[in-house]
Parts: sequence; structure tokens; C-alpha cells
Amino acid sequence: MSRSSYLKPDTIALHSGYTPESDHGSRAVPIYQTTSYVFESVSDASSLFNVEQGGHIYSRITNPTVAVLEQRIAALEGGSGAICTASGMSALFTTFITLCSAGDHIVSSAQIYGSTATLLRHTLKRLNIDCSFISINDEQALREAIRPNTKLVFCESIGNPGLEVADLPQISQIANGMGVPVVVDATFATPSLCRPIDHGANVVVHSVTKWMGGHGVAVGGAIVDGGQFDWAASGRFPELTEPYAPFHGIRFWEEYGPSALAMKIRAESMRDIGAALSPHSAFLILQGIETLSLRMKQHVANAKQMTDWLQTQEDALWVNHPDMESNSSHKIAAKLFPNGAGSMVCFGVVGGRAGGAAFIDALQLASNLANVGDSRTLVLHPGSTTHSRLTPEGMMAAGISEDLIRVSVGIEDIADIKADFARGLRAAKRAAEAQ
Amino acid sequence: MEFTVRGTKTYAATGGKDFDNNLETLVFLHGTGLDHRCWALQTRWFAYNGYSVFAPDFPGHSLSEGTPLSSIEDMAHWLIEALAATGIKKAHIVGHSQGFLCALELARQAPERVASLIGIGTAAAIPVNPALIEAAQRSSAEAANMLIQWGFGHKAHMGISAVPGMQPIAIGRQIMAENPVEADLRACASYTSGEQAAAEILVPCHLILANQDKLTPLKAGLALAKQLNANHSIIDGYGHMLPIEAPKQCLQALRNIITS
Repeated sequence: MSRSSYLKPDTIALHSGYTPESDHGSRAVPIYQTTSYVFESVSDASSLFNVEQGGHIYSRITNPTVAVLEQRIAALEGGSGAICTASGMSALFTTFITLCSAGDHIVSSAQIYGSTATLLRHTLKRLNIDCSFISINDEQALREAIRPNTKLVFCESIGNPGLEVADLPQISQIANGMGVPVVVDATFATPSLCRPIDHGANVVVHSVTKWMGGHGVAVGGAIVDGGQFDWAASGRFPELTEPYAPFHGIRFWEEYGPSALAMKIRAESMRDIGAALSPHSAFLILQGIETLSLRMKQHVANAKQMTDWLQTQEDALWVNHPDMESNSSHKIAAKLFPNGAGSMVCFGVVGGRAGGAAFIDALQLASNLANVGDSRTLVLHPGSTTHSRLTPEGMMAAGISEDLIRVSVGIEDIADIKADFARGLRAAKRAAEAQ
Repeated sequence: MEFTVRGTKTYAATGGKDFDNNLETLVFLHGTGLDHRCWALQTRWFAYNGYSVFAPDFPGHSLSEGTPLSSIEDMAHWLIEALAATGIKKAHIVGHSQGFLCALELARQAPERVASLIGIGTAAAIPVNPALIEAAQRSSAEAANMLIQWGFGHKAHMGISAVPGMQPIAIGRQIMAENPVEADLRACASYTSGEQAAAEILVPCHLILANQDKLTPLKAGLALAKQLNANHSIIDGYGHMLPIEAPKQCLQALRNIITS
């Protein structure tokens, strides 16, 4: 059950955050394509700027269409509030920069999306924010990695592309016990399959570009404040507990409690960084969210059929999905993902790197591109694309091999996907035989 | 600000400005299981518009230490001590739900400290279903779940928020889940002097009520208004949690009352 709503998830996905507006009765969420909002008076403007009341000032900070999406995602995840951003990466950067300052430290799972790894390893390093990468389900490694200046533990609920499921209850118990919040990128899961806040995580981040939208026509991100982390008791977050000069010394924790982080992100990071989601993109993503659970059921069903079928193909050397018993985190997946651990499937083909390339080039239905979570089936060779910036050691730690094919299984008829992949496997076999 | 009452560290929000005893003062009293944060979108406006604001967390609630008080009468007595500790001689007392029962008792026990009484989502008595108290005995979170489900009106249940991006239900539920709901409910259930207290009130009174209030139904609020000879405002389309779910309408009503 959501902590934010007593409606059922499928109802939240269709309704939460919006009731037909009074002027025209628009049933669909209107696109408020405006940069700014007329104040009722100077006094009204003043009180909005001073956070004496809620409302809209400028669309870099808030926008009514974006707010519907934010409230809907917060309700789906069971959070106290959400902030939408221009992309999943900007959601991550905004979260990290709100919680961390120069001299601070992050503990991250080694099995994460390549661009996130680059952000943590290189970009934040330039800001003197250090990061330690660990095997996130290694209890001892996590305890030892947390330092006095550690501001957050980061992981993906399903790691990209190694498909290791993070043991969120264990990670949260350890990190929270040491006064550190847990930030989870739940892009691969969506709240339809797993809600990290229910398992103790404190902040959830999404690339809503992926399954949440599902259509592949809009880029966006979201940050959900779980609302249950005690920023004061932690003692690590003076930015949230001490006076904040730009707003007349406001203390976010004292003033807002469960929504302190979301309010800080809004007041500071959206103002200063300005990675705002456009209202049109928010509208498009809302269209996708309306059918989220229906799509996720079909994604999961197709992924199951795909893994079963691939295991029968002699030119597929190995197959990985968290629902398979051979996956190292299968038991955790069974616990956290009772309805299936998503639709990302990884497998290796005969012929190594050349076989992988031949497989992808032979496909006619699936698309070779740098995205996941589209309703259409997507494929990629991470070693030469998303994770190409990693060292061989980094690739190994991230669970990536040269022959790895990453598949985002779509919701087409599974017979057509299998026929396409059979074509690819025959091409891989020919490439292997030519070596 | 932090101060000491009965030897215990106590917190009161002051709307983001230092408390100034020389200004006209408003005291905001939270309801069952809640804290000063339910007034976030009222207190800050008053503090930045020429008033002093004092919104305490009752003992054992959120940022105030101590043991929860067991009766409305004792809460009022504690409040008198808190006002004395901070040098507040006289103030407008604003109470939400249980907070207004405390306000009634405060006005009865120390009328000289009360400039006016303003009740929000309240009644002369707040009877409590024993099943709710039993739930609170098991856990505050369980009782919070029931209170929040009944407490908020339709719009909040549809995820509508006055503050863009936020979910008032989750915020209220989180605060309640960690506060002593059982003690508050028992105090409400056992308080039977509301009508008698109302009959003794001589200061100006005003009630702000909601037509979707299921915890202190509009009918009960209107009856109290009659007993108090109070003016009243009705906010349409919202439930019992008016300060949280309809903060702007609540603030506007308060501004109209205070400035008139």
C-alpha cells in the first residue's frame, strides 16, 4: 500500500495529482506551456518567493503539468514528494549535489549504469566529492566503506547491465544505522514491480524516459523523497538542519520534516542548476504512466519467455535475468520482485565481440540503440557503447563481458521477437565459424 | 526555538523569524499526533507580516522531548507554563482539532492570556472509536493510517497538493507515525468539558470548518460555533486536515479574522 495514497496503484497511475480543472473541465492533464505565472499582488509574489505559501513562480522551479507528474510519481512510489528533472542523469546529479559538498564521500555499487559511474568517478571528483565502489550486497564491504564524511549510499535496484538485484532491506538497515541515507535508481524496476521506500530506501531516482514513459519520445527524470530519513538524528546534514541563508535562514528539517529534502532540492538545486523538465515532456510521460502496470506485466511475461527460449538455443552461450536461479541475486529478486524482476535480459553469443556485432546487425525488428524501457524491443552492446568509458577492471566489476548483449524486451508478440533473435543467432554463428 | 517547560526541552516553531514579545502574537496548537509542521504554510506568513508566531510541539511530539500529556486539561496547564516560559502574556490562540480543545481549556484556566480563539476543524467533543485507540496502542503508524484515511478530503486522496510536487498524505502520515497518537486519542476521548468551557468563553471566537470533515463533522463544528457565539467560515471541498490540505484557504481565513 502506498504511504502517499489510499488509491490502488492502477488508479493512482491514471488519476493522482489532477482533477479536472474548473475553467474548462479538461479531462486530460493540460499542458501549461508557460514560463511564468501572474501574481495576484506584490504581497502575493512576496509570500511565494519567501515560501510562505505554495504555488508557481517560474517553470524552472515548478510548473502545473510537471507538478501533476511529480505528485503521481510520489504517490506511486509512496514518497512524501517528488521533483522531476530534465533527464535521469540530471535527477542523479541534482540528488548528489543537494546531499554532498566538497570533501564529502559517496559509497556506490560497482554495478551501475556507465554514465552514472562516470559521474561518480570523474565529474564529482572534480568537485572534490569522492566515491568508493563496492559489491553492494557485501555487508562487510558496505560497513567498511562508510566514512564519517559519507553522505549517501547509492545503488540501482536492478544493476545495469549485470542485473544484480540490490538487497535493499540489508543495505538500508546498515546505512541508516550508520546515519547515512540510501539513494536507489529504480529505473529498471518502476514502482509497478518494486517500491524501494517500502524496503527502507530513502530516496528513489528514475529515468522516466524508460519504462515509466514507455514510448521513447520524451527524456526526463524524477527524484522521490521517501520522507522517513531523520536528517537531524544523522548529524551529517547541516545543509538540511542548519539555517539556509538564501531563504532568510530557513531550516528545512524543522520547517518541513518529511519533505525537507524535496523542499531543499526545489529551493536550491532547481533554482541553481535549473535542470527542469519541460511541461510538454511531462505530459508525454504522463500518457505513458497511465498504462504502466499493464505494460510492465507484458514486459515481464515476454522477458520470461525470452529467457526460457534463449536457454534452449545452442548459440546463446549464457543467459542472465534476476528471475533465473543462476542469477547471483535470484533469492533477493524473488523477495523484492514477486511479480518479476523487470524486462532486461543479458546473454552472450557465440563468436565473442564479432559474434555480438553480427547478432545485432542481423536484427530487423529489435532496434540497436542506447536506450532501454521502450515498449519496443531494444538491443545494445554495452562494451562498445554505454560502458566503453570503463577500464577492463571497471567493466569486470560492473559484470560486463565482451560478448554481452543487453536486451530490453519489448511488448511486441513474443513469437516475432523470437524469430528476429533466431535470425541474429544464425548471424552470430556464421561470424563464429568464420573466425 | 527551544526552551524549557517542566524541566524538559521543548520546541516551538516561530515561522522562520526570531520570536519577538513586543509584537501581536499568534499561538498555533497542533492536533492529534501532529506537530508544528502542520502550520508551515500559515506561520511563516504571519511571522513575515508583522506578527510573532509560537507553534509548540506538545511534550513527546516530534522535536519536543518529554512524556506525552494524558489529558486536555493538563495540556492547557502545560501551555500556560510554556507561555510563561517564553514571556507571552496574551495571544490569539489558533487550534486545530485536539489543539482547539486545549485552546478552550486554556481560555477557561487563564482567560487573561487569550486575545481571541480560532478553531480549525474542531468540535466541543472529539469522541474516539475504541478500535482506533486499540490500533494506536499497537502502533502509532497503524492508527495514523486510519486517521489519515478519514482525516483528509477527496482532493488530498486524489493526490492534489497546494505545494507543487508534494504528497500531504505521506507527510502527515510520516509525522503521526512517530508521535504518541495513543496518548492524544485517549486525551480527546476522555475530555467531556468542552461544552462547559465554551459556555464560559468571553473572548471573540471564530471557527474555520470543512464540509468534508469526517472526524469532527461540520454539524458538530457548527454546534460549537453556536455555543461559543462564534463567527464561522466553511471551506468547501476539503476534510479535517485543513491546515495541511487547504493551507492557502486556511491562511486567508486566518488573515481575515486576525486583521479584522
